[in-house]
Amino acid sequence: MQTRKYRQNQADPGKITSYILLSLGLLFVIVPMYYMIISAFKDNASTFAYPPVVFPAINTLTIANFSYVLTRTSFFTYLGNTVFVATMTVLISTVVSSTLAYVFARLYLPGKNIIFWMVLAVMMVPGLALIVPQFELAVRFHLVNNLWGVILFYAAWVTPFSTYLLKGYIEDNIPRELDESMFIDGGSIFTVYRSIIIPLTSPAIASTAIFNFLFPFEELGWSTAILKSDKIRTLPVAITMFYQAHGQTDWGYVFAMSVMAVLPVLLVYLLLQRYFVSGLTSGAIKS
Amino acid sequence: MAPFVPLFSKEKIMASKAFVTFRKKMDWRTLVLFLPGFAFLALFTFYPIIKTAVMSFTDWHIGENQASPWVGFQNYVSVFRDPIANIALENTFFYLLITVPGQIILGLAVALLLNKITKGSVFLRLVYYLPVVTSWVVVALLFRYIFNTDGLFNYLLKDVLHLTSEKVAWLSTRYRSLFAATLLGIWKGVGWNMVMFLAALQAVPKDYYEAASVDGANSWQKLIHITLPSIRGTLVFALVMLTIGAFNTYTPIAILTGGNPYHQTEVVLTWMDFQAFSAFEMGYAAALSMILTLLIMIITLAMIRVIGRKEK
Repeated sequence: MQTRKYRQNQADPGKITSYILLSLGLLFVIVPMYYMIISAFKDNASTFAYPPVVFPAINTLTIANFSYVLTRTSFFTYLGNTVFVATMTVLISTVVSSTLAYVFARLYLPGKNIIFWMVLAVMMVPGLALIVPQFELAVRFHLVNNLWGVILFYAAWVTPFSTYLLKGYIEDNIPRELDESMFIDGGSIFTVYRSIIIPLTSPAIASTAIFNFLFPFEELGWSTAILKSDKIRTLPVAITMFYQAHGQTDWGYVFAMSVMAVLPVLLVYLLLQRYFVSGLTSGAIKS
Repeated sequence: MAPFVPLFSKEKIMASKAFVTFRKKMDWRTLVLFLPGFAFLALFTFYPIIKTAVMSFTDWHIGENQASPWVGFQNYVSVFRDPIANIALENTFFYLLITVPGQIILGLAVALLLNKITKGSVFLRLVYYLPVVTSWVVVALLFRYIFNTDGLFNYLLKDVLHLTSEKVAWLSTRYRSLFAATLLGIWKGVGWNMVMFLAALQAVPKDYYEAASVDGANSWQKLIHITLPSIRGTLVFALVMLTIGAFNTYTPIAILTGGNPYHQTEVVLTWMDFQAFSAFEMGYAAALSMILTLLIMIITLAMIRVIGRKEK
């Protein structure tokens, strides 16, 4: 007991090495991030200076880039569009994936295994690989240049993986006897879905919802094809367009907009961290 | 896991009418839950997959009045004869072969190190994960800026570390651009792997290691004989997900190089996007999609078969 306590107080060489290596890695992660933030506060001329100024003096920093982005672009419109698309994507994909997951995990339906395999196969197909017929669908339903043109397709792209995760979660974490006791009490499938599956799956639903919420903050290819006019652009498209207009001259503007676009996502991440981990790992450990 | 104590005896459940009804016969309510979701997926994913397959055999035109004649394997022949398509495929594999092992090895290394320490591990995990939540568009723009000829990376190489005497034009040739893209891919992906592997490591029973220590095993032997076999499931999952992700690469290339110079840095999806929306070769784009989809399916299924099932 005594020696053990003593040894714990001593600096363990293995631990020191760990800290050194982890700090080196941290530098690799942090430097680009830091450089982006600092560049957002530089005036545009000095973003092109060589050698680049890594530690600029405080008095050379300016918030002009931020005020330019806030006053001269529709930043809040882009942000609002992205949040709207994200919210609708989450709502649709949650309803679709939770109902399908319940059916696949529990209910009797002829051929459901084949359909589940089809859903898994869709997981492997890159959303962008289907861009041509999907664009045709969007044209036919008048969804081009319409936020619903990204919402419906995003929801469809993210649903297979969510379904797979939720099905696994239901199978592993909700005892069948719980459903069956509900049936014995006279409940129907709907009652079970509403008062057992949804409440007990909520941790997994929360994780998939967060990941699906972040998807519209990432996706560029499809949104560029669909969202043509400025007022309906989501942030990825808006930043790319803004970059194409200003990238040769005004990196400060580009990074000011980027930093502002990243902030809401970071906020979501910091507030809801634990769901990120549980959502990721519930899928991994299963397989 | 604690055994679940049933609320009712097995006999009682078996005898109940409800059980029989819901287990053996289809309830119309199942269809109410199933059909809307299925119809949604069918319209927006199953149908486009089938349509892509059909389109890949035609000279497709998007207008309603335009004819789309059947051309057989012509589009596939064009893809295979197209030097740019071959470059795009090679580049995709290049990206995959570097970023997938790179992310797994570094992610696992960080997870192993984090697993050893207690103080500050929550903070470190938080920071390592930051690139994962930061949008691809933003980080790709950032790397474009950093890999500029006058950018931070050249400054580090030339003026800080003195590894080169001249500034290198990173984004102007094929392999230099791909190098920057793979660095970006690894940088952004390490955090995701770290979280996965850390969770897997924490699930490995501690007494395995204690038993190994008693037998005199060193850290390397513990890693090879205990850790890696114990987290095999997670390794396979990460391998499959990252492989699918690497085939999915679009944004980093679209922003870093836009496929330039002269389409030398295209990956499959950027080249497909160009063919579909800039060259309006829809049939060609569809054939390229089909080839990509088949490649992904064959490779991921092979991975799951070969590596995933070995343990049994």
